[in-house]
Amino acid sequence: MRIEDVVCPFCGCLCDDLVVSVEGTKVLSVENGCTLATEKFTGDHRLAHPIRRTGGSWEKTTYDVAIRETAEILLDAERPLLYGWSGTFVEAQTIGVHLAELLGAVIDNTSTVCHGPSIMAIQEVGHPGCTLGQVKNRADVIVYWGANPIEAHPRHMSRYTTFADGFFVKSAFRDRKVIVVDIRETDSSEIADEFVKVTPGGDYAVLSALRMIVRGKGELVPEKVSGVTREQLFRVANICLSARFGAIFFGLGLTMSRGKYKNIRNAIELTEELNRHTKFTISPMRGHWNVYGSNEVFTWITGYPYAVDFSRGIAFYNPGETTSVDILRRKECDACLVVASDPGAHFPRACAGHLASIPTVQIDPHVNATTHLSRIQIPVAVTGIDAEGTAYRMDGVPIRTRQLFSTDYPDDVAVLGRIYSLVKEAKG
Amino acid sequence: MRVILKTRPRKKPHVPIEAEGIIPQNFLRKNDLSVYEGNRERHLEDLFFVTVEGPAVSPDQVEVILTGDTGRIKRVGEYMNAGRIIIEGDIGMHCGNFMSAGEIIVRGNADAWLGREMRGGRILCEGNAGDYCGAGYRGEKRGMRGGTVEVMGNAGDFVAEYLSGGEVIVHGDCGDLPGVEMRGGTLVIGGNCSRPCGNMTGGTCMVLGDPGELLPSFRRNGSTEAEFGGKKFRMAVFRGDVANRGKGTLLVREDLKSSRP
Amino acid sequence: MTQGILIKNAYVIDPLSGIRGEVMDIAIRDGRIVEEAPPGSQVIDAGGCLTLPGGIDSHSHVCGTKVNFGRYMSPEDMRAGRTSRKGVMHVTSGYSVPTTFGNSYRYSTMGYTTVLEGAMAPLEARHTHEEFTATPHQDMLANTLFDGNWSVMEAVRDKDVKRAAAIVAWTLAAVRGFAIKLTNPGGTEAWGWGKDVANIHDPVPHFEVTPAEIISTMIQANEILRLPHSVHLHCNNLGVPGNFRTTLETMDLAPPAQGNRQTLYLTHVQFHSYGGTTWRDISSKSEDIARSLNSKPQVVIDMGQIMFGRTTTMTADGPMEFKLYMLHHNKWSNHDVELETGSGIIPVYYSRKSLVNCVMWAIGLELALLAKNPWQCLLSTDNPNGAPFVKYPEIIALLMSRRMRENERKEIDPRTEHYVPLFALERELDWYDIAVMTRAGQAKALGITRIGKGFLSPGAQADVAIYPLKPDQLDPSVDYQQVMAGFSRTLYTIKRGRVVARDGDVVVEGANSTIWTRSRVPPGYDMGSDPEFTKKFDQYYTVRLRNYPVQDVYLPRGVCIETEAAL
Repeated sequence: MRIEDVVCPFCGCLCDDLVVSVEGTKVLSVENGCTLATEKFTGDHRLAHPIRRTGGSWEKTTYDVAIRETAEILLDAERPLLYGWSGTFVEAQTIGVHLAELLGAVIDNTSTVCHGPSIMAIQEVGHPGCTLGQVKNRADVIVYWGANPIEAHPRHMSRYTTFADGFFVKSAFRDRKVIVVDIRETDSSEIADEFVKVTPGGDYAVLSALRMIVRGKGELVPEKVSGVTREQLFRVANICLSARFGAIFFGLGLTMSRGKYKNIRNAIELTEELNRHTKFTISPMRGHWNVYGSNEVFTWITGYPYAVDFSRGIAFYNPGETTSVDILRRKECDACLVVASDPGAHFPRACAGHLASIPTVQIDPHVNATTHLSRIQIPVAVTGIDAEGTAYRMDGVPIRTRQLFSTDYPDDVAVLGRIYSLVKEAKG
Repeated sequence: MRVILKTRPRKKPHVPIEAEGIIPQNFLRKNDLSVYEGNRERHLEDLFFVTVEGPAVSPDQVEVILTGDTGRIKRVGEYMNAGRIIIEGDIGMHCGNFMSAGEIIVRGNADAWLGREMRGGRILCEGNAGDYCGAGYRGEKRGMRGGTVEVMGNAGDFVAEYLSGGEVIVHGDCGDLPGVEMRGGTLVIGGNCSRPCGNMTGGTCMVLGDPGELLPSFRRNGSTEAEFGGKKFRMAVFRGDVANRGKGTLLVREDLKSSRP
Repeated sequence: MTQGILIKNAYVIDPLSGIRGEVMDIAIRDGRIVEEAPPGSQVIDAGGCLTLPGGIDSHSHVCGTKVNFGRYMSPEDMRAGRTSRKGVMHVTSGYSVPTTFGNSYRYSTMGYTTVLEGAMAPLEARHTHEEFTATPHQDMLANTLFDGNWSVMEAVRDKDVKRAAAIVAWTLAAVRGFAIKLTNPGGTEAWGWGKDVANIHDPVPHFEVTPAEIISTMIQANEILRLPHSVHLHCNNLGVPGNFRTTLETMDLAPPAQGNRQTLYLTHVQFHSYGGTTWRDISSKSEDIARSLNSKPQVVIDMGQIMFGRTTTMTADGPMEFKLYMLHHNKWSNHDVELETGSGIIPVYYSRKSLVNCVMWAIGLELALLAKNPWQCLLSTDNPNGAPFVKYPEIIALLMSRRMRENERKEIDPRTEHYVPLFALERELDWYDIAVMTRAGQAKALGITRIGKGFLSPGAQADVAIYPLKPDQLDPSVDYQQVMAGFSRTLYTIKRGRVVARDGDVVVEGANSTIWTRSRVPPGYDMGSDPEFTKKFDQYYTVRLRNYPVQDVYLPRGVCIETEAAL
């Protein structure tokens, strides 16, 4: 069976034009997708049934037992952490937030290790953004800052920017200027009209210098700023100022380098300054396919996009304090539920170490690095393959993923719903 | 009156305690104070041995002394408006949030957000302070507005972020971006730091150690003399942050501003 | 299962049924008002308290992409109103942009049972519907944005009203929208280039159509489709001194009404009634606007009252928000939506010390006091743009009490009285006027009386609000504090025949409906199979046509109002 307009549950681009051929519960081929997509659809390392650790080894268990033990672990904890959420759909994330509220837990999503700083910056100065189609149809200048889309978001350039023809940009490759700013050459910088190489940790100063030039104070800019010549800074500023519609996209190279959220803030303020002269937008290159959905859900229920602490009944938010990495590093939490993410692979070693020392439960279709830190793992259906639900693209556009076939695996909503019911019952 | 709170041993010593109830005025009337250990509400006596010595008729006559394993206790002195708190050892985050008067002395180190959104009074930290010392809260346009925070040791990153009034003095080193978004008040850094005062719009910051690289967006504006710790220094004056239409003042030592880009 | 309630001794004002203050009983069965309550019904003694149909907000921003972004960017607002989980109530946060449950509980405890979300971008409709589900105590409706819709503008340029109607019909059905919303028509497209339109005759870049042409065509399309509501318009030039001329010209575009309802609904008109040429000489032009309104029964407006204090402004009007940002310089978000519309958000503080803000405050009240017919001027703050909706009781009190207005006069900038006629207005609205302006008028203007909204006679939906106010023992002119307190917290809020809130607490998990419209068009007008429409969709949108429509699963209790298009 050929299924068209399939939504890809891999990265924040959330491409929805894939054609997938399936036979029974097997994916035969994927058209239109990038290699990452093909791997996601055809990969097959799924855990067959729930497992629990006894002593030093794993034993097979039932969903009933695994779910009941998970509820008990969470109810026992004084500072439970519910982490992950970016790899599941909105309806499951919703149950997660309500579960956290009921438990007095901390709930956090993977923004904590990717675009959390972007969110903190936006909370200081706002976010002049747009949907990706606005860029595709109008932008004549594209800036990638600290991002390497060819590797991390392989179809970003072909669907939305460099190679995407649009209504007002009939021949994208010819009519569009691309600027890449990074600390090293990348595949993406090779196709740039202008490559700006910044010394590591120097983004903030470069952004400040560009802001000065745009607001007519360029005479103060020294000969070189963080490895970038004054001449190039002026050239870049002029390209931006003469754009009809410019779009900046930034990645972890900016969010996770020295200064973190202040870099993003500076970039946003540059965008704001440019809007006094022409049209400019700025957008984070969100990683997980539904990390933005978790930010949205957390926000409409709790008021905050990530790192929400319910320990005092009300919702409290303070990155640096209520963020997972910080909580784990300080060894605060005494139980952890990991849903749809792999902190074992992405967190600092000390944090992973603490996860291994407390009762950690993982709800995830696959065996991964976090499995080795967990006491229980409950496999579920994969959203976009054998489960469906809402996802939010990196620009906030909500798209419903498709279920290609059904399997015997319960989805995240089913498993989390049962945990929630048990907790609610116990809480009275 | 002197109230001594000595921590009791806990089964899970890493679980944070929130104790915004620990302020002098709350000990005037003998009422049942609650504190929180993680998501559990506890009586003050569950977590502390409480000793009360002597009488008091007003909060300014109350001195609270915390001893023991106090490094995980958050929000001590929040909204404090009189009296004194002495912490014999380390203290957890958010000590002195919104404090408007009185005095807090930390003999050890203070964790992040010491004196967050402080309005008045005095905090003395004899050890080191964490990140965001004398800073604000996420999304707010004003941080600390009045009073004094003095740190004898070092402080972390983003010291005095959004400072709007009052004085933050760090005798040792600060981390990255001290005085970032500063709009008023005074920040004095006795030691070294990096990238002071990014995006500042007002206020005065003085760095007596090596300021590391300065941001390119500051305009030189003459020299002046300054005094710190009984010594006089020749200071270069900068105005900025120009990128942000700022009118703040940054003073760095003439002899130590070598790394200016 | 039969569920019944008998409300005894209710002081009922039910304008749509012609009841202007009568002590009577109201019987409820299976979610509807009936002649007689079934045996074993719950009895509520209203004790002579004011009993009204459930409140209806015909223009509020509570759900969807830009509202949620207002939350996302404002942790400082979130900590201004936090409550813990309590009974069936979830945790809430926020003051000007509360969480969805926060909005829902606060509306419910004020007696509101139906709320229209003022602006939904079709491309992001799914988001609005998800938040509707998490706003469980109000039936929800979504104004759907067409102000910068490329296909619509092309139809306008080709003077093809029928095609415009067909595009609207397809889109409303696809996104489960309720009505046509135009926000700064043409201006949001111009904002795609960082520009705006200067007046209703200023052509939109590239598309070469004027706002006036868009508005007129959409009014005709709306009537061709026989939609329950009229075109819902946020005029051009919002917040610009001297903009009253644009507003008056726009009102002149409204054709006479054919039936019982208006042909044009202008929202938050306070923001569109400014004289002067700059912020220095801004003045009130409420009298000119009211004069026009009083001569045009085919126009309905809502106030867009501002109240002093902090709030968050959010609108699809991207260019306006950027101008406002340049004044306030706090923080600014913008979100343009491809082929459709834009949006912007900034926090503001309306100060009694600001003459401009005082003039704005006066204008809203003046509009309500100068409009002769309360059915034509509905109460709103354009929540949260003018103020969070929790300020409605205070606005009601100001409208009912000249004394309260005089007291406020002493607190505001003393120069205000030279720029506004407010303090010369003696009129004090009465209970009936308020009942019209907060529910009956909304139900009529939105065209939802047909599904039983906004009245209390048998057959109506059993949405009832009982306030702790005894109209025969109160003089609102003097007892305005009590009026304010009374409208802030119902004794009982009943929705679809169930007590949902009591004395300020929500007592059940909600289960709301989403009301949307579908206009049946002949097959030739089905845009889903129109070659040009689908080709352009494929070329220029970044979402596939098949992934665009909102699936039924997002409307667990959808109520569809179907109409037969005159195509």
